[in-house]
Amino acid sequence: MTAVVVGASSGLGRALAGELARRGQPLLLVASDARDIEAIGADLRIRHDAVVRCLALDLAREADPGARMTAALEALPPVTSVLLAVGLSRGDDDFGLDASRIGELLAINLHAPLAIVHALLPRLRETRGVVVLFSSIAAVRGRGRNVVYAAAKRGIESMYESLRHRHAGAELRVQLYRLGFLATNLTHGMRLPMPAVEPVDVARVVADRLQRGSARWYLPRRFALVAAIVRLLPWGLFRRMRA
Amino acid sequence: MRGLAVAQAELTSFDRQFHARCALQRPDRYRLLDALPVDAPRIARGGGVSYVGASFGDGVVSQSLDAFDRLLAFDAAAGRLTVEAGARIGDLQRFLLGRGWYLPVTPGHPRATVGGCIAADVHGKNPARDGTFRAWVDALVVHRPGEEPRVADRTHDADLFAATFAGFGLTGTISSATLRLARPPHALVLRRVPVASLAEAARVLREAANAPVLYGWHDGGAAHFGRGVVNIGLASSEDDEGAPRVPPASADLPAQVAPLPFPLWNRAGLGAANRWLDWRWRRAGQAPMALAEALFPLNRARLYFAGFGPAGMAEAQWLVPHPRFEAFAAGLAELVTRTRPRIALIASKLFAGVADGFSFDGSGIALAIQVASPGSPGERAFLEALAELAVAHDGRPNLIKDSTLDAGMARRAVSGFDAARARRARHDPHRLHGSELARRLAL
Ligand SMILES: Cc1cc2nc3c(=O)[nH]c(=O)nc-3n(C[C@H](O)[C@H](O)[C@H](O)COP(=O)(O)OP(=O)(O)OC[C@H]3O[C@@H](n4cnc5c(N)ncnc54)[C@H](O)[C@@H]3O)c2cc1C
Ligand SMILES: NC(=O)c1ccc[n+]([C@@H]2O[C@H](COP(=O)([O-])OP(=O)(O)OC[C@H]3O[C@@H](n4cnc5c(N)ncnc54)[C@H](OP(=O)(O)O)[C@@H]3O)[C@@H](O)[C@H]2O)c1
Repeated sequence: MTAVVVGASSGLGRALAGELARRGQPLLLVASDARDIEAIGADLRIRHDAVVRCLALDLAREADPGARMTAALEALPPVTSVLLAVGLSRGDDDFGLDASRIGELLAINLHAPLAIVHALLPRLRETRGVVVLFSSIAAVRGRGRNVVYAAAKRGIESMYESLRHRHAGAELRVQLYRLGFLATNLTHGMRLPMPAVEPVDVARVVADRLQRGSARWYLPRRFALVAAIVRLLPWGLFRRMRA
Repeated sequence: MRGLAVAQAELTSFDRQFHARCALQRPDRYRLLDALPVDAPRIARGGGVSYVGASFGDGVVSQSLDAFDRLLAFDAAAGRLTVEAGARIGDLQRFLLGRGWYLPVTPGHPRATVGGCIAADVHGKNPARDGTFRAWVDALVVHRPGEEPRVADRTHDADLFAATFAGFGLTGTISSATLRLARPPHALVLRRVPVASLAEAARVLREAANAPVLYGWHDGGAAHFGRGVVNIGLASSEDDEGAPRVPPASADLPAQVAPLPFPLWNRAGLGAANRWLDWRWRRAGQAPMALAEALFPLNRARLYFAGFGPAGMAEAQWLVPHPRFEAFAAGLAELVTRTRPRIALIASKLFAGVADGFSFDGSGIALAIQVASPGSPGERAFLEALAELAVAHDGRPNLIKDSTLDAGMARRAVSGFDAARARRARHDPHRLHGSELARRLAL
């Protein structure tokens, strides 16, 4: 039963691909550069004898990514999970972006996940599959940084609610992770208020819960407390938060 | 470019003689390997376990190949593996031994990477039998600023191929390599031959030239200088119990061993350690040995490395041709008696190759001499005198191990130094690659 990992070339997506291949799951890996996902595909075939197909798509430019993916899935067993680990944030996302950069952030963080889920829904419902979405601690409360990114992640949370509203748990499962800091290139060189977790540790938890029903989790769990504090902070204090 | 991130990081050489705060990039996608501005000085970094500052330096972006650790092609019938350059040697041995193959030439630190082994042209457990790492590499892919990646092998782009071994990352960044594999011995027995001196050790090493594992350990104290044991690992015909197993990655020696707050290896500590080693190991005998133990004996040496304390250590390694070795060993014994340096350990190995460029190869006996607190005046004077003594006996230094060498000594001691330097310049005419090692030795 195939898992689709979108954003499989690095960070969490790459770790998810490794974890799922280790568990014997056929995979469709998606990212923008064939060199990266083909290398990961080769590695997983050699190490785990995994069935892996790779699809290079620039999700900032691809008008209909879902169509390309459904075509690529033809050669694989039925799809049972879609893990949308794709994402992009930028240091200058502080009201300093021009329209094309805003469009790129929205395309990668929101449009692509929406379009992919729309296209794969019929197949996922046939297998009572699972959509796995990744939001961020950055989306808890809007700030002067990560302006577009956080808005897009709020959109992801809205998609989680819509999917659950529309589809009963018996026909589709939806899982949403609100992630804290991960030790990936997205955070490399940033001064973080708390230590980043390794993507392989997050991937293991996500893979363990793949058979469960719909739910929303914070990962690592301590970020639930962080989010609660951020939400409850009086406005005057919150405004002064820089990190 | 999307994903380009550079951090400031404190990096330290394994011997703790060089620290720098420098820019560190961790590319994890192919486009990010080539994402720095074309004129930005850079250097590739593998496991970062070189004794010296070879993978970083002031004003240079260190490019960690950590994420480039994927197996790209494996021919289990012919014994060929194409692998990305950031793959760690310990991880590869774990993978290969389970499939009936292994890399016969591996350094003592399991976190060294394929790229680091090529760039240092490392030697393994018996260089006289297996050669250096270059003997087991069929092809490389090298990335250079502003150019398409180049595939180099012995017939195609052969000059780049040759220059990249012991090229210390200065000819470009290796992204992948195709390695030739060997069948591991089914089982090993370790024969221990006690020796009273370095000269005797040299004779024992020469007689055992074909053993898969061959090295000596020696007392560096003045009282029993050179006394030690030669370890000869021989393939045994005894039935093995399935595929040889390598302990998990968690057992690997860490890339940086945190130093104890005080040095253990003062004179009293060294005396006690040498007496213990003498009692424990310096006796003739033969016992079965796990291949993993033979490949990475230093995995159990955390305390040994931590014991050098914050002042760290230095490893001077010199390869002295056979005809000059006895005289060199006698001169060294005399030097040690006179200056009484804090030598923690001496390791001896047999070489039977031909040096090329900056590589550490040739025909003779190599001594690796590990010295505590090399910055202290006595130890510094000893290391300088050692270098003079070695050069006087046609010795060749291992440039990527010894942080006490300077440019003048490197040029005197490495025959063909200027030609190697000119070759490096041909492959990096704008000097876009640099490191503390390259700066200190004027490579
Ligand atoms: C405990 C210990 C035991 C050791 N045992 C041995 C031994 O038995 N035999 C031996 O020969 N050496 C030995 N060494 C030395 C060590 O193996 C080498 O210094 C080796 O280069 C380390 O590999 P690395 O991946 O950590 O490289 P790094 O230390 O990261 O870099 C070393 C050099 O390789 C270059 N480099 C790394 N990756 C690439 C790449 N992808 N492309 C281009 N250049 C690259 C760097 O620029 C640098 O010049 C030992 C070191 C230690 C600390
Ligand atoms: N890192 C954190 O601290 C953190 C915190 C909270 C939430 N998150 C979220 O967790 C998820 C994983 O993050 P990560 O840190 O693992 O990120 P990452 O390492 O940067 O990986 C992002 C992935 O998205 C892909 N991608 C980006 N733009 C693309 C495009 N135009 N076309 C195709 N693929 C594209 C990348 O592939 P290519 O670049 O190869 O195309 C890559 O595979 C993301 O949704 C992120 O927002 C991360």
